[in-house]
Amino acid sequence: MKTLKEMIAEARQVVPEEGPDQLEKRLKNGEPVAVIDVRDPDEYRDGHIEAATNISRGFLEFRIAGTVADQKTPIVLYCQTGLRSVLAAKQLKELGYETVINLQGGYAKWAQSGLPVVKEIPLTPDQIQRYSRHFLLNQVGEKGQGKLMRSKVLLIGAGGLGSPTALYLGAVGVGTIGLMDGDTVDITNLQRQVLHTTADVGKPKVESGTRTLKALNPDVNVISLPYRITVDNVMDVIKDYDLVVDGSDNFETRYLVNDACYLAGKTNVHGSIFQFEGMATVFAPNQGPCYRCLYPSPPPPGLVPS
Amino acid sequence: MLPGVIGLVQATETVKLVLGLGEPLIGRLLTYDALGMRFREVKLRRDPKCPLCGTSPTIKDLSIHHATSDTCATEPAGARG
Repeated sequence: MKTLKEMIAEARQVVPEEGPDQLEKRLKNGEPVAVIDVRDPDEYRDGHIEAATNISRGFLEFRIAGTVADQKTPIVLYCQTGLRSVLAAKQLKELGYETVINLQGGYAKWAQSGLPVVKEIPLTPDQIQRYSRHFLLNQVGEKGQGKLMRSKVLLIGAGGLGSPTALYLGAVGVGTIGLMDGDTVDITNLQRQVLHTTADVGKPKVESGTRTLKALNPDVNVISLPYRITVDNVMDVIKDYDLVVDGSDNFETRYLVNDACYLAGKTNVHGSIFQFEGMATVFAPNQGPCYRCLYPSPPPPGLVPS
Repeated sequence: MLPGVIGLVQATETVKLVLGLGEPLIGRLLTYDALGMRFREVKLRRDPKCPLCGTSPTIKDLSIHHATSDTCATEPAGARG
C-alpha cells in the first residue's frame, strides 16, 4: 500500500515537468505537441489553454488514442494545479506514449502568469441545432465551433469575391465579420455580387451586405465599414481582426493590404480574378512569401486591367 | 460565377486557418481556368530580395503608399470586384 503522497512522488520521478513559459514557447514555435486538459468538462469550460483538448482523467486511457494517434507525439498534460495530471501522465507513459510532460503548477499557474486563456461560451439550443452538422465532423466539433465563434475576420471588398466569402463565413458562424467597402450597389454588380439584391441598387454595399448576413445568421456580429481602405486607415482597421481576406479589385489596394498585413503580422487570404481566370493564395508573415515576392512591382497603370 | 469559385476558396482557407486544420495555401498559388475547368498549383518561394519581407527590407512602414496614391487614383475604382 502506498500513500497518495508516495504515489505522487513516484509519478514525479518518471514524469518530466515544464513550466507555463516552456509550453507557451512550444506552442508559439508551432511544435507538434498535444496539450490535454485532464480536468472535468465544467472546469474546462470555465477557462482553459486554447490549444488544449479536454479528456477528463476518468476517460483518459480510453480516449487518448482518438486524439493522439502517434505515440511519438509529445504530450503535455495539465489539471488545475498539476497533481491529477502527474498521475495521469504516468499512466500514459505506461501505455507507451514516449514523451509525456506535466505542466508544472497546472492551469492555475498558467493563468496566473498572465498567459492567454479561453472560456467556452455555452451554445444555445438554437446554435446546437444550427451547427449540428459541424459537430459530426471530428476535426470541428464544439471546440472548433467555439473557435469560429470567437474569430474575427475582416473582408476587404463586398463585391464579387467578398460576397461568397461573406455568405459562407456568416453561415458557418464566424463570430465577427468586418465588412469593408466604400461603394454603392450598381445594377451591373448583381450578376456576380450575390450578397446584394435588386432592391439594394443605390445603397451602400456594406448596408445590404450586413442585412443579408444578419438574415442568414443573426449570431454574426457584422461590423459595417462603409469606406475604402486607405494608407491612413488600414493599420487601425486590421488591428482588431485575426485574419484579413483581400477581395479587392485593384493593385493599389492589394499592395497596401499586403504591406499592412505583413507589418502588423496578420495573415492575408488573397484572391483575384480576371475574365475567365482566377487565383488564390495565403500570405502568412514569416511563414511564406508575400504579394511582393510574387509581383515585385505593380504593372504600369493602364497596361493590365484591375 | 468565376468570383464565386475563388471567393469560396478564400472562405475555405479562412475557416481552415481559424480551426488550424489541413494544409493552408501558404507558399502555393492556386490558379483556376474556368474555360478549361482546370485548377493548377504553382509553388511560391519567399524572395530574399523582397523589399518587404526579404533579408534586407526597404519597406519598413506604409510611407511608400502616400507617394503612389496619386498615380493609382487614376485606376477605375470598383470596375470588377
